[in-house]
Amino acid sequence: MIKRKFTYILCLASIALVFVQCKKKKDDPTPETPFDKAGMLANIGENVIIPAYADLKVSVDSLQYFSNLFVAAPSLTDLSNLQIWFLKAYSSFQWVSAFEFGPAESELIRANFNIFPCDTLQINSKIAAGDYNLSTAADLDAKGFPAIDFLLYGSTQNNNAVLAKFTTDANAANTKTYLTALVNELKSKTDIVNTAWSLSGGNYISTFKSSTGSSVGSPIGMLVNQLNYDLELLKNPEIGIPLGKKSLGTPLPDKVQAFYSTKSLTLAMEHLKSIENIYLGRSISNVDGLGLDDYIIHLKAQHPSGPLNDVIKNKFTAAKAKLAAVPETLSQSIISNPTVVDQAYLELQQLVVLLKTDMTSAMGVLITYQDNDGD
Amino acid sequence: MGKIKRYLTDQVHIAPLAMFRVIFGMMMLGGVIRFIARGWVYELYVMPKYYFSYYGFEWVKPLGEAGMYTVFIVMGLAALFIMLGLFYRLAAIAFFILFTYVELIDKVNYLNHYYFISLVSFLLILVPADRFFSLDVVRNPSLRVTHIPRWMIGLFRVQLGVVYFYAGLAKLNYDWLFRAMPLKTWLAANSDFPIIGAYFDYEWVAYLFSWFGAFYDLTIPFFLLMNRTRKVAYLFVVIFHVMTAALFPIGMFPYIMILATLVFFPESFHISLIDKIRNLGRNKTIFQDQVQNFFSSHWFNKIIIPFLILFFVVQLASPFRYLLYPGKLFWTEQGYRFSWRVMLMEKAGTAFFYVRDPETGRQCEVMSSDYLTRQQEKMMSTQPDMILQFAHFIESEYKKKGIKDPEVRVESYVTLNGSGSRLYIDKTVDLTKEKENFLPKKWILPFAENQLSKK
Repeated sequence: MIKRKFTYILCLASIALVFVQCKKKKDDPTPETPFDKAGMLANIGENVIIPAYADLKVSVDSLQYFSNLFVAAPSLTDLSNLQIWFLKAYSSFQWVSAFEFGPAESELIRANFNIFPCDTLQINSKIAAGDYNLSTAADLDAKGFPAIDFLLYGSTQNNNAVLAKFTTDANAANTKTYLTALVNELKSKTDIVNTAWSLSGGNYISTFKSSTGSSVGSPIGMLVNQLNYDLELLKNPEIGIPLGKKSLGTPLPDKVQAFYSTKSLTLAMEHLKSIENIYLGRSISNVDGLGLDDYIIHLKAQHPSGPLNDVIKNKFTAAKAKLAAVPETLSQSIISNPTVVDQAYLELQQLVVLLKTDMTSAMGVLITYQDNDGD
Repeated sequence: MGKIKRYLTDQVHIAPLAMFRVIFGMMMLGGVIRFIARGWVYELYVMPKYYFSYYGFEWVKPLGEAGMYTVFIVMGLAALFIMLGLFYRLAAIAFFILFTYVELIDKVNYLNHYYFISLVSFLLILVPADRFFSLDVVRNPSLRVTHIPRWMIGLFRVQLGVVYFYAGLAKLNYDWLFRAMPLKTWLAANSDFPIIGAYFDYEWVAYLFSWFGAFYDLTIPFFLLMNRTRKVAYLFVVIFHVMTAALFPIGMFPYIMILATLVFFPESFHISLIDKIRNLGRNKTIFQDQVQNFFSSHWFNKIIIPFLILFFVVQLASPFRYLLYPGKLFWTEQGYRFSWRVMLMEKAGTAFFYVRDPETGRQCEVMSSDYLTRQQEKMMSTQPDMILQFAHFIESEYKKKGIKDPEVRVESYVTLNGSGSRLYIDKTVDLTKEKENFLPKKWILPFAENQLSKK
């Protein structure tokens, strides 16, 4: 009787043994070592994410400094200095846009900083009414970088006309206060997120490095999901929607990012490069550490046209080339040269497939924001 | 034949069935509370703008926020009443109808274990599970029985056995056995698992888990049935399900199975379990049960026995319906659902939908996320019938926008068990002209091992 009981255990144990034997016989020439996920997260956290926030902080600090100078005594010189730092800060933002989890998620950075196109009617009426409250959901269209873009460049792109808004215009005083409110919000939220990540502050970096699982809500899960979401932001709102992808081919050139400063292409390129750097685990100073690419290589992930990592890297290169081939400005090219823009768009679309489908599937990461049961 | 009939209708103690009822009610109550607490009622049945209905069940619609919460609260109460054995028959009917209704709203939420719960709650309607250890008996002592025909307990053992055995059969495929996929991917993703996680990166571990899983599923019902092996087998049930619970996001299912499989234990086990529960907190001697047999009426047997045979024959046969379709089952998913194919593939996809106005030749891309939740988008991308449904939905949306006869095409890429993404649906086909039915979907591109990705 006891013997019979053990037959079942024996059956199971023997299967185990067979495999241990198989493994030994195979005599793998290159013994597999587990991938250093903690090392990858540490590298991405310490050398990619934190420096990107530090860079954004420097830019936003300068933006605030020059904004204060300008507001105190508006002049053409200060305006152009302010514009330089605005573009620098907007560009720095492209490098943190993907990290909408943890501290950035609680501050809703993407929504607060970069909903475009901004609602110019709403901005003007808020200025006229002296309403500087930016905290409600209804204000999202009237603030962040797109709103500053509108205030600092205007629809004429004539700095004298812009200056007049801050000097001779009937609402000049209100406009200055509104600009200050916009900049101050960028500054305070940037500081909060920056501090939250830092070792000496909220130390979110430790949380980020500490867990190497891939489930929903794990650092890898959040990083990969947000990376994909961000790439789709680049593909759709920054390029596709203005190109008319959603509007039966009717171009919507005024829906581009940074419409008033006309720096849409520069920003899109920065955005694409930042996504590539996250994938590669490459720091802002171009030091290539452990990244998602190394993980994909370790997993030996394949694609019908070759090793997945090679395919993804080539697609980044192709997408950058096609984006670089679009003549300035994006709004004009959408009208006069839509085919070239469309080619860049299609490369981004292919990149979405590779990152969202191939990469995440190879890594066993669920593309989802809600936790739910599966089977 | 007469022997079998006698075996099935022999009177056995009701305790295993009563305990099964208590366990099922308790797990369902917990499940409903968990579902509400996690906000899933809202996320899955209120928030979506569109629902993927089942073929033939397009008339099943959600009831709005207040309606859906009411449904879940009543469902929870029904589960509680099942557990307590109070107004049992009514509670079982209510639970079955409400649960099945909810599951029929949106295919996106299809899970084998939800299907399992629908079936079990249906079977519970047919048996007098409240005639012992229940409030119904307290209410009306004349209802009390101690013995019932054996088949009334056997039903649930067979139902559980079918789930396991078919889940095992489904694992007997090339990818599972000889590529250790998808476990290789899933285990590697779990290398932070305590203690043994460090081994999850090794291929042989994935093979070990795959083969063990297949062996376990195929044999466990038989080992649970046999007196000699039952205890050891149950130990493996616990280990197996605790492992899967820790590794995969499969919610309550492992715990339901751990407790439900107790129905395989003999009546003595359940009688002493019930006695222990009864004596909790009081000092009573175990009272002797007066034997009270339950005989179902002749007409009930006349109807129910052939019906149950049909019920199980359909269940045993339908997982094989995929053989009627061409192509690779995991790729086309024609005949995939309702077949106990559990955790078998790592499949992901991205789908871009295009609408074209044939009158002007103008085309645009549809942002699926404008209409679907992230979860819906994900599930739809890899399942052709849902891609077709969504295409038809887009057609109606664009008709509303003033396009007389919109054409809808999809460019979709899917990767299956690490195959790498490849074109999934024929992107030249106007899906508005394709109808949903049980015929093979010719517009699904074949899964070619070496198919090069098309631009």
